[in-house]
Amino acid sequence: MDEDEEDSPPELVANDGSNTTVPNELSSGLQDVKLTRAPITIITGYLGAGKTTLLNYILTARHGKKIAVILNEFGNSTEIEKSLTVSQDSVSSEQWLELANGCICCSVKDSGVNAIESLMDRQGTFDYILLETTGLADPGNIAPLFWVDEGLGSTIYLDGIVTLVDAKNLLRCLNEPTKEEEASEHDEHHATGPLHSTAHLQISHADVIVVNKADLVTDEELQAVQERVRSINALAEVRVTDHSRLPQLEGLVLDLHAYDKVDAGSLEFATKGHSHLDPAIGTLSLVVQVLDDAGLQRLDAWLRAVLWSRELPGSNSDTEDWDIHRIKGRVSMTDGKLKMLQGVREIFELIDGGESSPCAGKIVMIGRNIGSQTTLSAFQQSLDSALAAS
Amino acid sequence: MVVEAPSKKQCQGADCENAASALQCPTCQKIGKESFFCSQDCFKRNWSTHKVLHQNQSNPLRTLFPPKVISEPDPATGHYNPFPTFPYTGSLRPVYPLSPRREVPKRITHPDYANDGIPRSEQKFVGRNNIRILDKKEQDGMRKVCRLAREVLDIAAREVKPGVTTDYIDEVVHKACLERDSVCTSPNEVICHGIPDQRTLAEGDIVNIDVTLYHGGFHGDLNETYYVGESASKHAASVRVVETARQCLDQAIKAVKPGTPFRDYGNIIEKHAKSRDCSVIKTYCGHGINQLFHCAPNVPHYAKNKAVGTAKPGMCFTIEPMISLGSYKDKTWPDNWTSVTSDGSRTAQFEHTLLVTEDGVEVLTARLSDSPGGPMPMPVEANGEKPADTNGDKAADVATT
Repeated sequence: MDEDEEDSPPELVANDGSNTTVPNELSSGLQDVKLTRAPITIITGYLGAGKTTLLNYILTARHGKKIAVILNEFGNSTEIEKSLTVSQDSVSSEQWLELANGCICCSVKDSGVNAIESLMDRQGTFDYILLETTGLADPGNIAPLFWVDEGLGSTIYLDGIVTLVDAKNLLRCLNEPTKEEEASEHDEHHATGPLHSTAHLQISHADVIVVNKADLVTDEELQAVQERVRSINALAEVRVTDHSRLPQLEGLVLDLHAYDKVDAGSLEFATKGHSHLDPAIGTLSLVVQVLDDAGLQRLDAWLRAVLWSRELPGSNSDTEDWDIHRIKGRVSMTDGKLKMLQGVREIFELIDGGESSPCAGKIVMIGRNIGSQTTLSAFQQSLDSALAAS
Repeated sequence: MVVEAPSKKQCQGADCENAASALQCPTCQKIGKESFFCSQDCFKRNWSTHKVLHQNQSNPLRTLFPPKVISEPDPATGHYNPFPTFPYTGSLRPVYPLSPRREVPKRITHPDYANDGIPRSEQKFVGRNNIRILDKKEQDGMRKVCRLAREVLDIAAREVKPGVTTDYIDEVVHKACLERDSVCTSPNEVICHGIPDQRTLAEGDIVNIDVTLYHGGFHGDLNETYYVGESASKHAASVRVVETARQCLDQAIKAVKPGTPFRDYGNIIEKHAKSRDCSVIKTYCGHGINQLFHCAPNVPHYAKNKAVGTAKPGMCFTIEPMISLGSYKDKTWPDNWTSVTSDGSRTAQFEHTLLVTEDGVEVLTARLSDSPGGPMPMPVEANGEKPADTNGDKAADVATT
């Protein structure tokens, strides 16, 4: 692998390949010690929306931090290597991620995750990892790869998805997608109802939406774009920029914690009435009563039916077929504990969220064909019945 | 073939009187040399003189074709270690040359991945989480192939004794499959995914044999860990890891019935493993199995996982927990296939192919009355006391399957 002799010496290594500064593998007694984990942010958006500009801006603005930038998404298991740029102190160097050739079919972690972890094992943790997808990527396929199970003790965690949209072109992209831009169906059943595009998916899965190129549109046009974006995804933060310039990075693009924390404020905001401007994708929010342990089990069962089997328990099949893209919630327990719900596509988990005084909980979903009032009533009714059953 | 750890050395730095640390120059390591230094600073100071040692071949093509270092073959046996500079984690080493690939007659139907290992039918986009429900005829097909796989495993297991090579066992498996008009689609395994080689099984080893059969359009998959020789089952640590793995699988199987989410088995397995002071190897998982070798669902063996799906009658899948005594992290050998734990500690694994029935489960690869191997009690010391390693387990603590 290593080629020419450098002028500066490499680091000494121990017999098992690790180097001096990185502590050795955890001994069996320390399995529960907290690992330092690096956040991975997925940056998506159509070609020309400003992803690369944003990445370059992050790299120059955050000199002093060790940042890895990976171009193009993973998930293509026939690749052997991936190019990765590591930036530290404004100096970038190119590395190769060797995607191991092992038995991918029965291994739990995506080979990309393994490759990043190996790299960090050898070279130390990154402060940030930025993954730039190709223009027509569906983030719903990529996010699950990096939303690694807590039980795996991974050294990376999914921080969130940032979507850049071009203010000038977005409405055209949403309303008149080209053949290439139409969202491909994920399963055998055919979607009824209006077409949706990859732009819809990139917006519906986003935790932050950056409406870029604001300098190229009028105030009215900008307003229309923002309203359309909000009607698709009422949970995400929306920022308006020109030239991908953000006033600050932390909390807006970096350090999002979009898959561990569920902020009460953003749920509140999402439940305010947002117009259902978009015919295909919308936001729906549900009220959840305070639950005891048995109630939590029933909630889990309801979520399994909705997210895994795509069934709405207790309802007749009058509602059109629907898909859930993203789900977040806060549920209060009778014993004062708080549970947070996170989910993307079929994958979800209920995690401990500390303490809270018992109050009504909330669940917000973003998905296809769930924007109408009738659908909202059907979902709320189904949830209420499921939780009430003894 | 055991390689000993390097004995205490002097630091290679010129004029340095310190003893060497455990750290060595990585470039030397790659080219098969060992250069130990006391510290990174000393190494830095001596770099300009030291790096000359890396250029012992002034071949300009050196950078284009990195030298392939293999150890010299043993003149008596022809055996050699193909990756001598790899930092192995325990005492296990591969013993090459490998046998030539065994031919399977064309008259036996091969699955689509037989030639190049690429499972095209699995990659067809069928919806990541759609789990197939098998009808009566398909279930019978699975019963058949799983029964055959069990027979083949038992035949192979009867050959397990000190002095036998893992390659010989592979040959036995191969023959037994041919006799059953089947293709064996997985090599025997060391921990997991090992390649059969010339290493002989030694008294006191534990060895895992994994058999996957393809017959009549269906796959059957099972594995068991066996004790090699009399002394293996007297070694408390070995018995603890093997029996814990066996029990983890048994307990998980007890929970299989319609309505059980696939994410539950990991909680059961990890809880039991922890109670026996063992860890779960987290990298590999159980899987759906039918006309496809690996398909939905994914069945992790560790707790707190987000596996999708719930058992329904007619589904077939495997549970195959891999349990270790020490660190749960594993490493892959340079052959890109063999996987071992990073502290070299012993691991054990057991696997069954399961069919969900209307009210429970049918273990399609169940042991037969004459299946070799089977659970062993925790060994008791000669003076009647329990060895310190048992963690309070009773000698009568024996698995039920």
